[in-house]
Order: sequence, then C-alpha cells, then structure tokens
Amino acid sequence: MHSFFILFGISIAAGFVGAMAGMGGGVVLIPALTLMHMDIKKAIALSIVSVIATSSGAAAAYVRDRLTNLKVGMFLEMFTIIGAIVGASITVAVNSRWLFILFGAVLLTSWGALLARRNEEWKPVENPDRFSQWLELEGSYPDKAAPGGESEISYRATHAAWGGGLMFIAGLIAGLLGIGAGALKVIIHDMVMGLPPKVSTTTSNLIIGVTALAGTSVYLAQGLIDPGLAAPIILGILTGAFLGTRVLVRLPNQKVRQFFMIVLALLGIEMILRGIRGTL
Amino acid sequence: MELLVGYILSGGVVLSVLCLVTGIVWRWVATGSPGLDYQIKGMNLAGFCLQVFRQAAAGHFEAHLFVNLGIALLLLTPYLRVVASVVYFAFVERNIKYTFFTAIVCAVLTYSLLLR
Repeated sequence: MHSFFILFGISIAAGFVGAMAGMGGGVVLIPALTLMHMDIKKAIALSIVSVIATSSGAAAAYVRDRLTNLKVGMFLEMFTIIGAIVGASITVAVNSRWLFILFGAVLLTSWGALLARRNEEWKPVENPDRFSQWLELEGSYPDKAAPGGESEISYRATHAAWGGGLMFIAGLIAGLLGIGAGALKVIIHDMVMGLPPKVSTTTSNLIIGVTALAGTSVYLAQGLIDPGLAAPIILGILTGAFLGTRVLVRLPNQKVRQFFMIVLALLGIEMILRGIRGTL
Repeated sequence: MELLVGYILSGGVVLSVLCLVTGIVWRWVATGSPGLDYQIKGMNLAGFCLQVFRQAAAGHFEAHLFVNLGIALLLLTPYLRVVASVVYFAFVERNIKYTFFTAIVCAVLTYSLLLR
C-alpha cells in the first residue's frame, strides 16, 4: 500500500518544504502520511526517526563552526529527553483524534512564532542570574557577517531555571508529535535565555537529535517503527532538507518562503479540522 | 571537543545513509523492487541494535541487515555523542558540574533504550 517510491517522493517534498519554511520535515511529513491513510501514531514514530537524521546532519556542521553552545545544549537536554519519553508514552496511549488537533495547534503556534521573531534585534544579556552564572552558560562565536570582517561575539545566557522547565514542555511536544519542535526551542533560547539567534538555532538543533532518540526508543519498543518504511523516509527527508537549504540561500526574496509558510498554516488548519470531525 | 562531536554526528549519519542505500539497492537488484516489508516486534532499542550487530558480526549479510544496520547506526549516533561528552567533561575538562549533567542525560537515554 505504501510503496517505496511514493514514501521516498513524499519525504523529499516534506524535507524540502520544511527547510524552505524554516522548520523540520516532520511538520509536513506527518500530515502527508496521514492523508495516505497511514495511522497517525505510525506516522509520528517514522517521522521522529527521520528527525534524528536531519538534526544530526545539520548539527555536525554547526558544532564544528563553533556556533553551538555545548554546555547550554547539555544542560537543557536533561529536561527535553524526560519530556520526550513522557510525550511518546502519552501518544501510544491516547485517542488519535487528539493527536490531530494537538498537531494542528502546535503547527500553527510555531508558525506564528516564526513569523513574530523575524525582525527582532538581539540584545546581549547584561546581568545573568546567579544560577545561570553557576552553570557557566556563556560563550562566544565567530560572526562572519560582521561589518569589517570576522569578529568574535560574546554572550551570556540567563533564566536557566525557566529555560529548563520550558524545555521539558518542548521535549514533551517533540516526543508526543514526532517533530523536532525546533521553533519552540528557539523561542525559549531567544526570548527566555537571551541567546543570540545563531547560537539559539544551532544549539536547538543539537538538542533535537537526543530528544528524538528518547522518543524513538518508546515507539520502537511499541513495534511502531517498520525498517522497510523508515528507510525511504530517512533518505527522502535528508535529500529534501539538503536541497531545500541549498535553494534557500540562493533565493533573492522572501516571496517564495512566504508561499511555503502559507502551505504550513493550511496543513495546520486541515489537521485540526480532521481531528474535530473525526474523519481520520 | 567541538571537532569530536562534529565528527561523531556527521560520521554516524553518513555511515547510516551508506548502509541504507546498500540495503535498498541490494534488495532492488535481487528482487526487482526496493521495498522491504518486515517489522520490529517485541524488542527494545538496545535489543534491536544488539541483534543487528550480532548478525553483522556473524556475517549474515542480507539486504535487510544493511537496512537494519543503517537504522541502528543512526539511532546510536546521538547516544554516542552523549557518551563522548561524559568522557570529555570527566577526563579532559575535569568539570564536575557538567560531568554530572551529561551523566544524567546518558543515564536517562540508557533507560529509554531499555524501555519495554
């Protein structure tokens, strides 16, 4: 029923659209798979495996460029992985209708967040609280786009306790819905902890891989992951995301990106409607 | 540290993709269709990985073993990164706080691998 080439093609498209809209492939993949009459729980389980692939692939490059803050990542991972295990366990037990509604709601929320954070300037944190200082949450990264050549930008993070608590929720959503929930993690890094945008996106990428693994364990133990279905999806999402990021840097304007963001919003609304009507 | 983590992540993904492609192409050449249909039932992640590596070590090479190997390698990539971080913070940087934090992450992940 779910032939290799169809899954592979859909996954390329999902990875591509996800990258163009600035999110992962999961947000497109899961609605697409359910439209092909795949059980949403199975779609979530397959998606979360592919999340490990995309996040690890991207994180590797960012970590080597010293954009990722490993300490911030390690500290916050403690919270996201516990959230992911709890979230995935809920998914296994809950009625599928709720998953549709929740998926749509999260998709629209992350969409709104993506729209809102566009033109905000990053301001360095002046006085981090004592807990954040104790955690040594600070660092610097090379800014290649700085006027007057490459320069090193220092930053310090604050509100680590809040960040940790909120990260539990981000992890919960990631495990629950089989997505990276990167948009939510970036908001927490940006708005609560005051990290510069480049550091927050790249560090969230690192965290996503481990979080997805914790969720995957739960789904695999439940027998929800078929290797024969996972293989074309992993390869497809990786290909799509790779192509998407390549095209994205060459785009002259925001128009195309806006088109893909509208696609995402429509997918969110459609998921909610299906959940409410019960036409799964 | 950055380099080590970077290489673990990219190496894991590349190896995994190579295994997946090998498995699929093998299957395709052997049967004329690249699709595989089988399930992982009644096993946790640690059990799955162990079984796959045991089969590989025993030389039972088949198309689906490569696909399984690809998935196992992919799943173990972030895990390996965390294990490497524990070792790094404990022995290279000698940072007690972060050895503790990464050890917690490692312990929770290990627990999740053993979930039934």
